Amino acid sequence: MPQSSLLSIIIFLPLLGGLAALGVFSQPRVSRWIAAIAASGDLALVILLFFLVPGGHAAHNGGWLMAEDYPWLQSLGIRYSLGLDGISLMLILLTAFLALLCILVSWRQINTKVGSFHFFLLATQTGVLGVFLATDLFLFYLFWEVQIIPVFFLVGIWGHEKRLAATMKFILFTVSGSLLMLIALTALYVIHGTRTGIYTFSLARLASAPLTDTTGIFLFAAFMIAFAVKTPIIPLHIWLPDTHTEAPTAGSVVLAGLLLKTGVYGILRIAFPLFPTAARLSMPLLLTLGLVGLFYAAWIALSQTNIKRLIAYSSIAHMGLIIIGLAIWKAITVSGAVLQMINHGLTTSALFILVGILGERIDSRKFADLGGLWKKMPVFSAFFLFFAMASLGLPGLNNFVGEILILIGAFTVSPLVAILGFCGMVFTLVYVLRLVQDSLFGREKAAHPLYDLTIREGWVLGVLAAAVLFIGLHPGPILRLFETPLHHLLSEGGPVAVHLAQPFSGPS
Amino acid sequence: MMGNDWITILPYLFIAGGGTLIFCAGAFCKRPPAAFLLATAILSVLCAGGSAAFLRPSDTVFMQLMDVGEFARYFTLIFSVITLITLLFSFQYARSRNFSGDEFYGLILFAALGMMLTAAAANWLIFFLGLELLSVSFYIMIAVHKSGTLSIEAALKYFIMGTAATAFLVFGIAMMYGLTGTLQMGAGLSSALYGSRETGVLAALAFILAGIGFKLSIVPFHLWTPDVYQGGPAPVIAFLASGSKVALFAVLLRMCMHLQGPLWEYSMPAIWLLAAVTMAAGTVTALSQTRVKRLLAYSSIAQIGFLFMTLPAVKEQGLPAMLYYLAAYAIMDLGVFGTLGTLSAGPEDLDDLESYRGIGYTHPYRSAILAFSLFSLAGFPPTAGFVGKFLLFRAVLQSGFVVLALIGILAAIISIYFYMRVIMVMYMRPAGTHCTVLVADITIRLAAVMVFMLILWMGIMPSTLFDYITRTVSFLPVFT
Repeated sequence: MPQSSLLSIIIFLPLLGGLAALGVFSQPRVSRWIAAIAASGDLALVILLFFLVPGGHAAHNGGWLMAEDYPWLQSLGIRYSLGLDGISLMLILLTAFLALLCILVSWRQINTKVGSFHFFLLATQTGVLGVFLATDLFLFYLFWEVQIIPVFFLVGIWGHEKRLAATMKFILFTVSGSLLMLIALTALYVIHGTRTGIYTFSLARLASAPLTDTTGIFLFAAFMIAFAVKTPIIPLHIWLPDTHTEAPTAGSVVLAGLLLKTGVYGILRIAFPLFPTAARLSMPLLLTLGLVGLFYAAWIALSQTNIKRLIAYSSIAHMGLIIIGLAIWKAITVSGAVLQMINHGLTTSALFILVGILGERIDSRKFADLGGLWKKMPVFSAFFLFFAMASLGLPGLNNFVGEILILIGAFTVSPLVAILGFCGMVFTLVYVLRLVQDSLFGREKAAHPLYDLTIREGWVLGVLAAAVLFIGLHPGPILRLFETPLHHLLSEGGPVAVHLAQPFSGPS
Repeated sequence: MMGNDWITILPYLFIAGGGTLIFCAGAFCKRPPAAFLLATAILSVLCAGGSAAFLRPSDTVFMQLMDVGEFARYFTLIFSVITLITLLFSFQYARSRNFSGDEFYGLILFAALGMMLTAAAANWLIFFLGLELLSVSFYIMIAVHKSGTLSIEAALKYFIMGTAATAFLVFGIAMMYGLTGTLQMGAGLSSALYGSRETGVLAALAFILAGIGFKLSIVPFHLWTPDVYQGGPAPVIAFLASGSKVALFAVLLRMCMHLQGPLWEYSMPAIWLLAAVTMAAGTVTALSQTRVKRLLAYSSIAQIGFLFMTLPAVKEQGLPAMLYYLAAYAIMDLGVFGTLGTLSAGPEDLDDLESYRGIGYTHPYRSAILAFSLFSLAGFPPTAGFVGKFLLFRAVLQSGFVVLALIGILAAIISIYFYMRVIMVMYMRPAGTHCTVLVADITIRLAAVMVFMLILWMGIMPSTLFDYITRTVSFLPVFT
């Protein structure tokens, strides 16, 4: 595999753009444009990747479409190594796409400290991209931590009334999880080093670490707590509704669209492959937690009075279904779960953007102040209805595909889980319909003169809607991208080790 | 042999010479210009650091008193950097408060000399001399701002507590001498001399540890720390928190390296317990602080706790990790206290957490350095604190102290809260009353940039320093 620094450029271009935007903080307009150009450039590079790598035909080089590997802290066996496969390709596409949308939707909303805002936004993007591409556990952890701090500032500085408490809750929860992961990954590194004599953080090698079952379970638990906080899996979801509700629109989009995905990605790419035995043992627990999350979040969502909070709980419910897909651990359910990650990123972000647009006009996110929007803002309402339908899984739209894959797969393994999961989705139907009914229809309450979408907003939502439709109608190419990596992840015997070991077969 | 010995102790001579020169300038000239004093001090520190870095001593032992080998060279280098940054941070601060005389700069250099001697001591007497040189200089420096009421109180507290600690220390040293008949650290701690009098040596060690514990502010000897940190002038506290603690930790490392057999086995539980208590008490007490300097005092107690946590692992993998973290810790504490000093132009330092509201926007650059140092203390990447903490935990786990590591990680989790609280006040609350700050001249800018670059460099490219440390450690006889 020839070394190419394209992946590094993709990761660090946003950070550089962010620094540039911060550098011209006295001129907000220039900051915005620099940030938008950096984000567009990044998106263009990610799209370029699709043309550079032959999608789906990557078997000849071990599943990696592209990789990078340099020594970094050699005496400790830490390397700067990145790898791109079908899953990470789709996820970085989602990341670059949503980051650009975040800048666009904040164009008028963010008017204070514009330079710093874009710096933090783009720094988050760098962190998230790094998480999706790192194949060295230490590097992964580094990016994992790096993405937290900018979000802390995004929520804390540009958030709504109770932002301070929310952002503190966010950082305490996430950092507690990640410090547990730090100790677990250090322990894994030490155990692997003392048993085999090779001190390394390479995921490929660590996957074959000789662990006793008990140690494996403890380490797996520590990793899972870190990922479960981010995902979030019930009962570690407590931070999410508050943080989402208080975050500015772009912050909510970053959280829902990107950060939550890193949690699921960690489970899929790090926790399960590193500890296959412990992972198998945890499947019943994860299934239960996933189902409980689906029902509980849907139930709580019903009683919300704040739109943002309702959408936040719907996120938890969606994540419950994704966890079920992962826990079944069949090719069909896992590819459904991965697809669902992307779908959730698109639809939930779109809903948050819509609520943000509404907030710009009537400065409220409460159901009590809404109602009858359809008459005043028809285009807005049409988009709202469209994304709400996508969120509840209307056939022909994106979520339907992911959900049906997960449920069909679940049915072949455990019909009970599939039936319960299906019931949970009926719950979803109820609260989404309530969301639509209470905001779009009914009696008009807003006294303000409302104006419909501007052209910029229309474009943002239009592009999102096109993506939702595309996945809903023609998911084949995307699912094909997942085939090779999932085949490697799921193969029996030496689970991922075989797959991950190949690109870096040299001595290290 | 005596002829080329002077090369061996060149760094110490430079510092002592610089200090003497500054005092002489004060004696012959009524008010020597501060810029001249600063320049002299910086020059001697640079010479000392340069000679420590580039001149390898011909003999690692100087007159059986000092071990000037790789270990001491590494610490001399750290102290040079610490002193340099302290000097740069204190110049404006001292001038604005009218204590920028020869005594201040001279004392900084002599305190630095004390640190270097302490770290290089192979003999209990040299250690004691170094420590006293260090302590006496600090007693005066904390009180140097004569119109500050808090600083006089702080100096008095530090003096009384410090003297008590010294008494313990001297008593322990005397016991060691009585039991073994030698003042050599290494020889005295080897079983050949104390024979069957283990209990006595352990008692002596306990007294010495109590003395060192006072200066390191190990719980339960930490009670002076918040008061002194709160009252003392910020740049002096920066120097105290970084330099003096690193020096005493160097002695502790040397002692632990010499401890062998049953002595080491008996000491281990004590160290274990002190580490756990220090980490826990430091972080938990810091949670409720509303004054930034007190909060940072407890944070520095917790930080020393993290280092202490690794001490039981010193014989296996711990030494390089601790050497790395000592450097990181020194730079971070210099960063927080130094920038805090530049943010305070009034007679008292900016201390109340409320007065930091929105300061991140009124004074963006120095606040950024302060916040960056706080992030490093909290252990976020890409900073020195993160790499340092990783190295510490790796060493602890490698030696099998899993419970201690878990206590440590819990303390680290709790500590996130109070570091983030300061940052929240700085960046997420509307600006409060306008505070006057020192004019950022070249010295402050240089110091701030140095702190920032060092923290970033140690966080992103740790291999340069870490490989240097690994080489240093490989020269030490105890570990090969």
